[in-house]
Amino acid sequence: MLRGRTVSGVEYPVFILVGMAPFLLYRNTALRLMDSLRENRSLFGYKQIKPLDTYVARVIVETCIAATVYALLVFGFAWFGFDMSIHSPLEWVFTLLLGLLFAFGLGMFLALVTHALPSLKIVIRMAFFPLYFISGVLIPASYLPQTMMPVLLLNPFLHILELIRAEVLPHYTPVDGVSVTYVFTFTLVLLFLSLGAYRARRMHLISTKNG
Amino acid sequence: MFELRNVTKSYLTPKGRRYVFRNLSLAIPPGKNIGLIGRNGAGKSTLMRLLGGADVPDSGTIATDRSISWPVGLTGGFQGSMTGRDNIKFVCRIYGATGEAMREKVRYVQEFAEIGDWIDEPIKTYSSGMRSRVAFGLSMAFDFDYYLIDEVMSVGDAQFKRKCAEVFKDKLQRSNVVLVSHSMPEIEKLCDVVLLVRNGGIQVYDDVAKGIEAYNS
Repeated sequence: MLRGRTVSGVEYPVFILVGMAPFLLYRNTALRLMDSLRENRSLFGYKQIKPLDTYVARVIVETCIAATVYALLVFGFAWFGFDMSIHSPLEWVFTLLLGLLFAFGLGMFLALVTHALPSLKIVIRMAFFPLYFISGVLIPASYLPQTMMPVLLLNPFLHILELIRAEVLPHYTPVDGVSVTYVFTFTLVLLFLSLGAYRARRMHLISTKNG
Repeated sequence: MFELRNVTKSYLTPKGRRYVFRNLSLAIPPGKNIGLIGRNGAGKSTLMRLLGGADVPDSGTIATDRSISWPVGLTGGFQGSMTGRDNIKFVCRIYGATGEAMREKVRYVQEFAEIGDWIDEPIKTYSSGMRSRVAFGLSMAFDFDYYLIDEVMSVGDAQFKRKCAEVFKDKLQRSNVVLVSHSMPEIEKLCDVVLLVRNGGIQVYDDVAKGIEAYNS
């Protein structure tokens, strides 16, 4: 049933996998960082361990899990005859890493915000749900309403997913306005903000019992 | 020695901010074994965490020129889903013991805690006695100027307590201990100075017997 359908010249399952796997990794990374303080509180007894260490460790764990799952799925797809080759692998790896850096910055920012205001956690979790649709995880961004494009293009996830798909699928054309520079700038600003806020709040992160 | 200057420590609870210590200043003389006594919830463990640098005061400073162990307590310090061996190795890596030094420490803790092949089971399957034996043995495997011991010895059986006392006797030749305990004989035996934590304040008693008397009154 599924084999017959294609999107921009590729089979639909391949199209979904290529975009959804990185998106889920980024979403999990960003959301799980909010809990990493609480989950690792007992480790702060060793004064060498800082909250930043738990953030980095969480990103590494999530990346390892996602990479393993992705590798298994790609292998499985290839086994059943789908074409899983990557069009431009080096750019693909670069974009994936850039996206991971963005997710790390975002997750840290959210972790710091929710540490100050714990009740925001549930709102932020819910806010990630519409991101599914406006980031074009299930459909190419060109299917999204064109009149809304200027607003939708503010969302870095959309840029990252379009870039990733353009790098994996040979005939995929991303929508106009997608740029790696935008993601890069956004990530840089976000990292600056969250690392700065972390610096200012680092003592509170260890000492208070909420979060 | 330890010197506390204007230390204020509070926790945020759902009902507002609760102060454990307010503008506390005191100096603890060097080379003494320190006993922390006080009722439940008076702030003994918080004070110990502050001394160990595992927690930071809201304002004020805590100065010391000695190396201090992590707070060795009944809870915390271990990752429950990892095995005892992994937890020991983790702490070894934090404190820079790798290779042969790490294997040596794992052997030492395994022998000291008498856990045998339980060392390869997840920590969360341990009984509280086993857990405290591992925690105590692990801190004894490293050399510090001060050991922070939070009620760990009180849960052990008689044999383990005897073992603790033996190791302690050896360690206390070169090091000191900060001990939280509700067992007054233990405090009397090991400590030279008693800090009575009560009502957000700390009284220092150079005479252990007087301190215990004040605690009991």
